[in-house]
Amino acid sequence: MKSTFKFFCLAAFVSCCLLAASSAFAAKTIKVGIVDTYSGPASTYTNDVRDAFALAVNKINAAGGIFGQQVEFVTRDSKFKVDLGLSAAKELVMREEVDILMGTINSALALALSDFAKQEKIPFLATFAKSAKITGEKGHRYVFSMNENTAMIGKAAAAGLAKLPYTTYWIAGDDYEYGHAVADGVWENLKKLKPEVRLLGQSWWKVGEPDFTPYITAMLAEEPDAVIIATGGRDCVPFLKAAQTTGFNKLVPFYMHTATEISTLKPLGLTAPEGVIGTANYHSYYPDTEENKAFVAEFEKAYDRTPAVGALYGYITAQFISKAYAKAGEVNTEKFIDALEGLSVDSPVGTVTMRAEDHQVMLPMFMGMTTKVEGKQFLVASEIITIPAEESMPSLDEIRKARQL
Amino acid sequence: MELFTGLSFSVLCIQILVGLSKATILFIVASGLTLILGVLRIPNLAHGSLYMIGAFTTYSIATAFSQSSLGFWIALLLAPLIVALIGLIMEQGLFRFLYNRDHLMMLLFTFSFTLVFGDLVKLLWGSDYRSLAVPEIFQGSYSLLGMPFPRYNLFLLLLGPVFAAGLWFLTNRTILGKISRAAAVDREMVGAVGINVNRIYAAVFVLGCYLAGVGGALVAPTQNISQGMDHSIIIEIFLIVIIGGLGNVWGALLGAVIFGLTDAIGILVAPQFGIIFPYLAVITVLIFRPKGLLKSIW
Repeated sequence: MKSTFKFFCLAAFVSCCLLAASSAFAAKTIKVGIVDTYSGPASTYTNDVRDAFALAVNKINAAGGIFGQQVEFVTRDSKFKVDLGLSAAKELVMREEVDILMGTINSALALALSDFAKQEKIPFLATFAKSAKITGEKGHRYVFSMNENTAMIGKAAAAGLAKLPYTTYWIAGDDYEYGHAVADGVWENLKKLKPEVRLLGQSWWKVGEPDFTPYITAMLAEEPDAVIIATGGRDCVPFLKAAQTTGFNKLVPFYMHTATEISTLKPLGLTAPEGVIGTANYHSYYPDTEENKAFVAEFEKAYDRTPAVGALYGYITAQFISKAYAKAGEVNTEKFIDALEGLSVDSPVGTVTMRAEDHQVMLPMFMGMTTKVEGKQFLVASEIITIPAEESMPSLDEIRKARQL
Repeated sequence: MELFTGLSFSVLCIQILVGLSKATILFIVASGLTLILGVLRIPNLAHGSLYMIGAFTTYSIATAFSQSSLGFWIALLLAPLIVALIGLIMEQGLFRFLYNRDHLMMLLFTFSFTLVFGDLVKLLWGSDYRSLAVPEIFQGSYSLLGMPFPRYNLFLLLLGPVFAAGLWFLTNRTILGKISRAAAVDREMVGAVGINVNRIYAAVFVLGCYLAGVGGALVAPTQNISQGMDHSIIIEIFLIVIIGGLGNVWGALLGAVIFGLTDAIGILVAPQFGIIFPYLAVITVLIFRPKGLLKSIW
């Protein structure tokens, strides 16, 4: 009798241990490490990525997670610095043991993280960095891009500009990789589509140039039909301001990527120039679908601000992660990557697909013109034409050629 | 009227005016730096930070009064005073005790202030950049010789001589100016004749900070108000002060004009390499006049 009781106790103890172990196992989470610039001017863009990602992750977790596992994420501030970001990524992988790396608006850091991801064999989902090298010549199995890149901007802009009646152009932009890559991309593609275009000259200013007035008057003196402005991020705002005060937009039509985007137009309020041609991946008011409206309402409710383009990147990244793991059936890097290749998810801009061959997400681009609208406190894009991803993506031949270099 | 390579006369004129309007802000900020450098012998690296604080304060005040069309003007009046107050606290609380230290110490000390102020701005205003609209009456541009010239730039252009004249009057025609010039040359002697040198120093330091604040307030509507604007201006104004002659207000004026003009003309002549022209000018000056164009007080 005594021994039966002893056995019973032992059995109870063992089963308790097993239960504890299995519950500990079930509590294991899928961990995403985000390295991005959260201080300094770039945070205007990166906060939207993180917040939309958090929103989507909370929803996934509330619905029971991915096959029962909760998704968790940690962020590290890279302060727009490559060395800081890289050591943060190492720390995330070694100590936090994250399953996936994500992030960064800084292209140089994105490329460094991509290298690191390749060594460590851990998936890296690049959000916001616009270098075409990420999925072009430096692409590999472990890196994915969740946004448009300079090659796609160039192709999309050229497709739009070729339809306009301008032949002589001036190119001006930020004197660093993004500026030159966008300018080259637009110009190479525009020449192919419309061989009669002629380049009158170029101006290049330093990143963070405070005063664009002298550049604008110098460009006006050359009297081009149209100007391509290859300026990115926060420099768009003072450029548009200078364009407004000099009346540049009324004298010469000009194109600038993200000129129609809310991050650029909101700080300017109603003083933003009208008639500027811009491209963007996302508008909170376009496409005018139920999915987009629902997404905007949810984001506004959570954060009390309108989602900008970064929110789209954050949202689709969360969707891709959850769907790819669900498809893979387990937390396994190689299976995750196989599942992610060619995967499609629903998004506020419709169904988007991760191209299997080069790991570049296929997002449509919206070209429009800045316009004042009654009742809005800032300008919006009008006369929007949608350039489908198929038209703006670099061809697979181009990718293959780039990767052989 | 065509000059060489199809560069028209009117374009050149406009470009010179644009360059001069840029020089105005550089002059106002640099004159503050050079005053402090000349009289107090402090190479104040935190001068750029005060300029940044001036710009951020202008933004906050102007948006607080955004219902009235006077918002910017109230800010232009108040923001430099707030910066001057910060200067007063700095001088009375800290610098006062350190006048006998050598320059390297002072340099490090003021450098530490750039870090403190940088973080302070981040704490108060966050890391986002701000953008302030040009005041209503200066929106748009005038047409001069067939080219657009922004109204706000014209306002700056007119303000430059006002500040130059004001500084001339202050240094040459007032007691404060005369004593501070004397103190710059021989501090002990001025003290020996019974003048409270510390008070003069405080006044000059506060005036210098005030000028940094004015520069920040004036630049606020034309560019992004963001972190990092302290670093970019401090490099430029230090170069201006060096090529003008350390501690010489007229040197600061000359340096600012050279800097503004080479920048604007460079952009016109060689738009692809426009960035380097002001720095080429600085190098040229330093090769031929290593002590600066005008007499250095040091």
